[in-house]
Amino acid sequence: MSRRAVAINLKIPDNAAYTALVTLRRLGVDVDRVERSEIVRFPNAPAPGTLIAQVESNESLYNPNKHRVTVLDEDAPRPGEVWIVQDDADRPVGWRLFNASGKPANADVVAQAAERLLLNPAIERAIFSK
Amino acid sequence: MNKRIAVLVFPGTNSEEETARLLRDCGGDAHLVHWSRAQQLPTFDAYVLPGGFAYEDRIRAGAVAAHDVAMDHVIAGAQKGKLVLGICNGAQILLEAGLVPGTGKIRRPTAAFTRNGPVPHFVCTHVHVKLSIDPARSPITAVLPREAVIPSWTANGEGRLAASAEHLRELEDGNHVAFVYAHEDGSVDDSASPNQSALGIAGLVNRDGNVLALMPHPERDAWTFNHPDRRRGDAILAPSGGAVFFRSFVEAVRRA
Repeated sequence: MSRRAVAINLKIPDNAAYTALVTLRRLGVDVDRVERSEIVRFPNAPAPGTLIAQVESNESLYNPNKHRVTVLDEDAPRPGEVWIVQDDADRPVGWRLFNASGKPANADVVAQAAERLLLNPAIERAIFSK
Repeated sequence: MNKRIAVLVFPGTNSEEETARLLRDCGGDAHLVHWSRAQQLPTFDAYVLPGGFAYEDRIRAGAVAAHDVAMDHVIAGAQKGKLVLGICNGAQILLEAGLVPGTGKIRRPTAAFTRNGPVPHFVCTHVHVKLSIDPARSPITAVLPREAVIPSWTANGEGRLAASAEHLRELEDGNHVAFVYAHEDGSVDDSASPNQSALGIAGLVNRDGNVLALMPHPERDAWTFNHPDRRRGDAILAPSGGAVFFRSFVEAVRRA
């Protein structure tokens, strides 16, 4: 058992992610694609295969017609990603930004996106990729 | 010439009709302006942001609308002294836009109306809000009686004011707390708040007094037909309804 995190994404079009993309571009943030994930962190997670099966059997987290689940390599944001935490540190929202080459956006761009739109520091905190 | 009031409609706004109707019933010259017609906004004298779920509350309630082109015009107007009123989702937008309390930079919020407490849930209930500033502090409240108690309906999942301790002090010290939740007799205690809002805050005003964000809906307790005591009179507007607040706003627009 070890600490792990999973990312649950929509596999149907994600209107919220698209709205974030359009708004970030309007704000001058250089980003080509935005991916939004519901992150669920498990302090004592089983092996990845078992963890995926557990998440996929939880109907409040996962709908096979809408979602895909990824076990993250680390319990931390991926390159190009920021986690926005409001109340529950184990259930942040992940926003992953990509540049025009399809690669994860660099740290400066992610920080700009958080400061200008994705984060309200009055009620949320951001966890950035190392 | 009449002063014209724009009632902004974003995708997902849902209270524009009753808001505009009440402004008209109170003597205002109110017009619906959709976000796609934002270029019309500079020609208006005042702005009202009604309730709803602008842009489906994507990212956060009010966050996307706060960065819409329409809000560029509202912000510019507010900075010139035009009157701006936000109700419920409109209040959330004003906080996200940084217009209220206006102690930080534009579009860098220092507070938010966020998930209700103690357990996040949608609250739909009749409430009273009490004017907690000197009426003259804001033109929008100028003709209200001191400590006026305004009946309203609260209908939101995210109406609890939250901010850091430092920014809450700033709200108190700067006299930004325009309305607090109260009982019908005007008394104030923790049980008057439906959502554990910090300092019992229901409404905030900016430094100059021309922008006011109010979380509950006075426009839903304004006509006799939707006032809790429907027996009180035959007049269109309820004798003690939220119309009092809207009359004050319309009067402020007329005087501006």
